[in-house]
Amino acid sequence: MEFMESQVEEVIRCMKCGNCRETCPVFLITQDESQVARGKIRLIKAVIDRQLELTDRFQDKIYNCLNCNACVTTCPCGIEVDELITAARAGMVNAGKPLPGAQARVKANVVVHMNPFGEPREERGSWLPAALQTPRLSPNLYHAGCAVSYATSRTGKALIRLLQAIDFDFTSMGSQERCCADPYFRMGEQTLGRELVEQNIADYKRLGVETIFTSCAGCLKAFKKHYGDTFRVLHVTQLFASLLKEKKLVLAKSLPKKIVYFDGCDIGRHSNVYEEPREVLQAIPGATIVDFPANRENGRCCGGPLMPSHPDLAKRIAAERIAEAKVMGVDMIAVACPTCLVNLKEGSRLVEGAPEIHDVIALVHRLAGVK
Amino acid sequence: MQKTKLGDQIKAIVGQDYFFDSYEDRLCYSYDAAIEEAMPEWVAMPGSVEEIARLMTLANTEGFPVYPRGAGTGLSGGSVPLKGGLVMVLTRLNRIREINQEDLYAIVETGVITSALHEQVEALGLLYPPDPASMKVTTMGGNVAENAGGLRGLKYGVTKDYVLALQVVTPAGQVVRVGSKCVKSVSGYDLTHLYVGSEGTLGIITEITVKLVPAPEHKESMMAIFDDMNMAAKTVADIIKSGVIPATLEFMDNTSINAIEDFKKIGLPRDAQAILLLETDGVKAAAQHEAEKIIAVCKANQARDVKSAATEQEKLQIWEARRTCFSALARVRPNTILEDATVPRSKIPEMVRGVTDIANKYGIQIGNFGHAGDGNLHPTILTDLRNTEEKQRVQKAIDEIFALALSLGGTLTGEHGIGSAKAKYLENEFGPEGLAVMRAIKTALDPNNILNPGKIFVADTAIA
Repeated sequence: MEFMESQVEEVIRCMKCGNCRETCPVFLITQDESQVARGKIRLIKAVIDRQLELTDRFQDKIYNCLNCNACVTTCPCGIEVDELITAARAGMVNAGKPLPGAQARVKANVVVHMNPFGEPREERGSWLPAALQTPRLSPNLYHAGCAVSYATSRTGKALIRLLQAIDFDFTSMGSQERCCADPYFRMGEQTLGRELVEQNIADYKRLGVETIFTSCAGCLKAFKKHYGDTFRVLHVTQLFASLLKEKKLVLAKSLPKKIVYFDGCDIGRHSNVYEEPREVLQAIPGATIVDFPANRENGRCCGGPLMPSHPDLAKRIAAERIAEAKVMGVDMIAVACPTCLVNLKEGSRLVEGAPEIHDVIALVHRLAGVK
Repeated sequence: MQKTKLGDQIKAIVGQDYFFDSYEDRLCYSYDAAIEEAMPEWVAMPGSVEEIARLMTLANTEGFPVYPRGAGTGLSGGSVPLKGGLVMVLTRLNRIREINQEDLYAIVETGVITSALHEQVEALGLLYPPDPASMKVTTMGGNVAENAGGLRGLKYGVTKDYVLALQVVTPAGQVVRVGSKCVKSVSGYDLTHLYVGSEGTLGIITEITVKLVPAPEHKESMMAIFDDMNMAAKTVADIIKSGVIPATLEFMDNTSINAIEDFKKIGLPRDAQAILLLETDGVKAAAQHEAEKIIAVCKANQARDVKSAATEQEKLQIWEARRTCFSALARVRPNTILEDATVPRSKIPEMVRGVTDIANKYGIQIGNFGHAGDGNLHPTILTDLRNTEEKQRVQKAIDEIFALALSLGGTLTGEHGIGSAKAKYLENEFGPEGLAVMRAIKTALDPNNILNPGKIFVADTAIA
């Protein structure tokens, strides 16, 4: 497996202290050292040192990682574990090792249908109003993302109605929208990922796009990480926060509930957006906004990224988050990521008396009183 | 018996889900936080004391080594399977069985995470004082086996001062109870304290009864900055001499200060030669009175500045320096070797000077920080072990640091344990006679040398 010099340096810097055991959601469920960053780094080192071949077992362990970056917050050496895991996956792809089943399916779906779920390409924009079905010139581009387009389009519809009601000017790629390429990068298909990024960038430039705003935290991460600095990239909650400040958006209805904001990893640790979703929630009349004991950069992952490959584990991790919220006595968990929304809902089925789970965007739509 | 058959028998005891023998899985139990690594033949995660007893009986009969392991965070190689055999992971035994507020004790299983116990007892207004830096991941069993210390060691003592009773599985597979819940108990030999700090060489600790104390009602935090390292070191001794025992008394040298500022600019003066971080606790008036005395001692020793935290926020700022220290040092070079040679606290000035001289002599970088109040400094060697020439210089420096500590009436290890790396020095501390007594105990309790062989005693010398 070919590694770049910088990754070899990262592996060597692991002092094997084991602090990553404190926060790794996969380890906390499995209690298996080979599932925690320290174990995975040791396995990668064995491959670099040619003590270990690219076995299926090695592959399985390297793919059984949420890329949530929780371990990075407790690593005294500051090892970029997420980068290392992704590089190891890319190394396997480059060495010609076939992807594991779940990732192979996701890849085929993105190649053929431009979304990881294998939903028909032509139906991607079917939930959008006619005016947004085809792109037009505009400095503002709304990128719904695959999850919102196919799985949580209620969130998307709410957003569109809201923005149209306040006469916010924007366009959308509509049915021509493509995957942001995050699934490719995460599974180690770097070349496919870069090609897709180039295609997307060319489209956006043609439309004169300056700002991309997205309702998907995964897409937000991808845009920030892989699209250079050509565009200003915002999460919808950031857009909302500034619209609220400018009084262009007003939350008229009250919601006298205790709400906890869930810091998703892609919007939080990966994109450094912590405060704006909270500012939006705090603008809700009558609501009390609280934090999980582990919040912001210490927030715990919902387990969502493991849904395709390890659905049971993903659900169990989500159930732990739900149980934590339940102990806090909240009425509602507010999320800003479609993956968190879907997986936390899955997990909530395992917890009796689980709080409601809503996307911040849908909440805002409801409370802004826009039809 | 053939290895595969032994593996099958181990698997039959713990169940398929808790038995591992693939290369990939074994590799992940070949290490702890020390440098040395070795591959086990099997890994098992027993789920009960009964399973542990059966595993020990099998090991003792068949003669394969057993390496008990908690979170694998030890800094002396205590859980590394030097002779192969079985790594026995004890983290599944993780229940807090009882917290008794009247008799002030807690009973925990061996795999309970230390800070999980902290949280539970602190919610009741109690304190389990041992607080090793790794407490958010370490297990109570590991803490007991290594006799872990921590920041509060100076005033509150270390793990051994809190262990009242243990349940232990012997190498022959017998389950025994030692010690008592009673504060006073002199029945028979004090076997409890024989097992505490035995580094997994005498028995498998499965259940622990620890003493609790009431939590202090108030804390005062201070930071003292010094232009002269010797004056800082002298201050440590003078504070104790003044009759004050701070809850925490931490030291950081100039290398550490600059590493912290390079990593996170928290506003420490880069030209300061040393910083002391102090905390007093107890009844409010007493903690405040002690803090005043400490400030006076610091000033008398030419502290450039003494900051006292007035708010919780300022308290956090003061301790951020200490919390960040190790992370900051760890990022300077590829490898970090954390030692814990300890001296009587009055010898801190000589120890600090001596370590600096050794660093200069061998041209290596050593950050010095740690629990100065109890004489337990952590000379932290920043190096690149791929450089074989530098590695040799580092080894020589380590040898000299240990010799220096012993020459000052100190000890090889304050809280990390002897393990394998320091085994060769142990005779220098206790002489051949002292070592012979230890060997006799090991032979009596583990005649077949199946428990953690290669630790404390230089490999193959445990059975004389």
